[in-house]
Amino acid sequence: MAEVAYVNASRVFPGSPPVRAVDQLELNVADGEFLVLVGPSGSGKSTALRMLAGLEDVDEGAIEIGGKDVTNVPPKGRDIAMVFQSYALYPHMTVAENMGFALKLRGVPKQQIKDKVAEAAKMLDLTKYLDRKPKALSGGQRQRVAMGRAIVREPSVFLMDEPLSNLDAKLRVETRANIAALQKRLDTTTIYVTHDQVEAMTMGHRVAVLKDGLLQQCDTPRELYERPANAFVAGFMGSPAMNLKTVPLTAEGAQLDGLVVPLPRTVLDSVAAEGLTEVTFGVRPEALHLAGADEDGMELTVELVEELGADAYVYGSVRIGDASERFIVRVDSRTPPAFGQKVKVAVRDNSEIHLFHPESGKRLSA
Amino acid sequence: MRRFLDRYWYAYAMVLPVVVVTAVLVLIPLVQGIYFTFTDINEANIANPLLDRVAGYVSVGFRNYANVLSGDSSYGSFWATLLRTVIWTFCCVFLHVTIGLGLALLLNRPMRARALYRVLLILPWAVPAFISSFAWKYMFNSQFGIINQTLRALGLPEPVWLGQSNLALVAVIIVNVWVGVPFNMIALLGGLQSIPGDLYEAAEIDGATPWQRFRHVTLPGLRSVTSTVVLLGVIWTFNMFAVIYLVTGMNPYTRTLITYAFERFFAGASRDYAVASTYGALILSVLLVFALFYRGVLRRQGETL
Amino acid sequence: MTVDAAALRAAGQEAAAGNRGRASRAKRSRLASVGLHGALITASLVAVFPVFWVLVTSFKPDARAVEATPSLFNESSLDNYVDVLSGQRGNFLAWFGNSVLIALLTTVLGVFLSATTGYAVSRFRFPGHRSLLLGFLVMQMFPFAVLIVPLYNILIALGLQGTTFGLVLVYCTTAVPFCTYMLKGYFDTIPVDIDEAGRVDGLSPFGVFWRLVLPLARPGLAVTAFYSFLTAWGEVAFASALLSAADESKTLAVGLQVFSQQNRTEWGHLAAASILVAIPAVLVFYLVQRFLVSGLASGGVKG
Repeated sequence: MAEVAYVNASRVFPGSPPVRAVDQLELNVADGEFLVLVGPSGSGKSTALRMLAGLEDVDEGAIEIGGKDVTNVPPKGRDIAMVFQSYALYPHMTVAENMGFALKLRGVPKQQIKDKVAEAAKMLDLTKYLDRKPKALSGGQRQRVAMGRAIVREPSVFLMDEPLSNLDAKLRVETRANIAALQKRLDTTTIYVTHDQVEAMTMGHRVAVLKDGLLQQCDTPRELYERPANAFVAGFMGSPAMNLKTVPLTAEGAQLDGLVVPLPRTVLDSVAAEGLTEVTFGVRPEALHLAGADEDGMELTVELVEELGADAYVYGSVRIGDASERFIVRVDSRTPPAFGQKVKVAVRDNSEIHLFHPESGKRLSA
Repeated sequence: MRRFLDRYWYAYAMVLPVVVVTAVLVLIPLVQGIYFTFTDINEANIANPLLDRVAGYVSVGFRNYANVLSGDSSYGSFWATLLRTVIWTFCCVFLHVTIGLGLALLLNRPMRARALYRVLLILPWAVPAFISSFAWKYMFNSQFGIINQTLRALGLPEPVWLGQSNLALVAVIIVNVWVGVPFNMIALLGGLQSIPGDLYEAAEIDGATPWQRFRHVTLPGLRSVTSTVVLLGVIWTFNMFAVIYLVTGMNPYTRTLITYAFERFFAGASRDYAVASTYGALILSVLLVFALFYRGVLRRQGETL
Repeated sequence: MTVDAAALRAAGQEAAAGNRGRASRAKRSRLASVGLHGALITASLVAVFPVFWVLVTSFKPDARAVEATPSLFNESSLDNYVDVLSGQRGNFLAWFGNSVLIALLTTVLGVFLSATTGYAVSRFRFPGHRSLLLGFLVMQMFPFAVLIVPLYNILIALGLQGTTFGLVLVYCTTAVPFCTYMLKGYFDTIPVDIDEAGRVDGLSPFGVFWRLVLPLARPGLAVTAFYSFLTAWGEVAFASALLSAADESKTLAVGLQVFSQQNRTEWGHLAAASILVAIPAVLVFYLVQRFLVSGLASGGVKG
């Protein structure tokens, strides 16, 4: 068990110009916490994980595990276990040998290795397969062996690099829950990398969002969802994505087509102080609804209806100024509008809107 | 610097043995060999510790190069020999690759006894060169060789294969093709098996005929293998000495740059090390020029080496 | 797509099977089948016949070997073998022992040197790795037998002239460049993830090489071993120049020259001796042949 800290850690790949894959990352992970690193590809999330593992150099700053500076410690001295995206099982060893390899290297007595492997195999439902080679296993079984290899070590930190991305959709959801439950039971600090924001939201105690090597925000899933620190996080978390549009301001609020969304006085004042005439306006699909004929609302031309059973999502275009903008609205799946129909859309609750600075993307609303 | 060593010391530790061995046994002799090309060193004036004789050779500047490049027949008719070497190399490599590819394509099909065919077809690779040479020399013998006996039985003319004519060159090309096809076949077979089957299916759905599939899927898919096989083939064939020397001996009709270097080196009482080394240096230059040219061509086609 | 090594290895073995499955969907016509087998049988005959003919000749007395009518069995006997092995014309068994020793040492050392170098070049982007590879290519371009004189001088300086080890080192320099290329290519197909998993599990970089990469590279190592073995087994020029001239320290390839003197070749004896020499090489070949395709396929020839 240990806490983990990135202290202004950077990884700079040489080149012209050099690429700052991870840029001055400052992040503290508490003992026993499940932290998810999430971001689009190229955001530096895997690099950050590999720096922690000791597989990637730390060019600036430091990394601490359990309060000890491990920046220059090789992987084997860090007491970590890692689950790879490809699982990286040793093809020439059986499942049992794969799982017990690290213990064998540490000189743990044979019987003890056997017991620990058996225990982990039981936990992961792998007992039947202990004598097989990885080649003879299905994708899901391989994934579990990779997990088992990490568990047997009883490390102070688990590192997982997109461990579910090679599984099919159904198995992924199932395994997602299993990993979360397992982590809870073992209570081991876990850093988990994914590009899938659903995984991030459902698994992490806290989620750190990265983009271009820079930490955007690190918070609980709920906070991240409800109070995204900037337009990038707002757009990245949530599916379908938040509607984010640049809209002109009036004295009362944000001017959408046929609809003025009133904004808090404090926001309007601070925007006016900066001399802005536009803001980035964000509203999640579920915060919009179809308005009655007599209500105010944006006129939206339906282009596509996605029915998901419980809900339906309406994709349509709205004119804002001279441009046509696409909006997504969640509607009741029993009465979706038809293709080509014009409907009125309004904001369900004015407290559910998000405002961001049109240039910096920073959150404006209090 | 510390950091540099920290990061790379094991890499350097792993290449160190090879670097040391090649530096001592390749680089130093190579430099000395190139130095010899500017001297008149031979068996008579070389230092001989057994006879307690010190080296008596002297520097002659570029005379060896001038003599060789003049094309004079007492120095191996360099240009004619170069031409013959190019013909020999081209024929061998062309046949190696085409026959190798043909056999690889056949072997890549599903059929019975595939493994057996493969073993039999690779067998020539496992036979040491001097034995293959002996076998073919025996078979090519104009009186009792099996080849001429067969031709005689068929009522066909019986040529003197290994005599003083260009037929001898044909004969050694045949032998070298026999020796070299297995390597090319196996390399190309490996290349064929690494082409994803999806590509063939996609091409088939696009309506490609078998020939078009070969032309537009197989050949491009093999390009990286063929470019390497051809480069290595050219280098190896250019310097292939054993087959020619062991089958035809010092026959001027099969003389290539390398066999002439050996002739100068081993034959006669004089053992002209200087001219032999000069030939070695010229062979290296020709191959370097070829490799640079070849790399340029590949680069233009979007391949790297 | 799963990309772990297990899948890769399986894919390597099944790639052929996969193609097979697809191709056999359209059943080959009878005629095409006959043509296919006909072509392969012809090619196999051409490949095997010279060796077969040497085998046949090896049982014939020298006089029969040069008869103008071919025959399979004519006064066949084992006399040639007895003559060769009995050592009337030179200590065949000593030659054989020398050759085995030299070839095995070359194999072990050559595989070791090219594996370490190939791994370093495959995994570590250390400054100089490109020039090393280019250097290996250029090394193959110079006819090194022409360098026997300077080589001789160096070996004397090192005290290795005339020793087995000196000759083994020379053979290694000829075998290692190609072997390194080949193994580098093979190592490149082993996912780096495996190395990293090993590092996390507690191995040092050398441990990763020794306990994970080498066991996984067996097909590539087999091809390398085969190539190194052949380099040393049949070589004549270096062996005759760099070993002592005493009969009992010759290698087979050198010793056998006794059967083909200037004007008189003893075809029968030479054939028998050749077969005896070829047997170990063919044995080694048979042991590694199932690895040849996969080893070479992912190996250096991919460039």
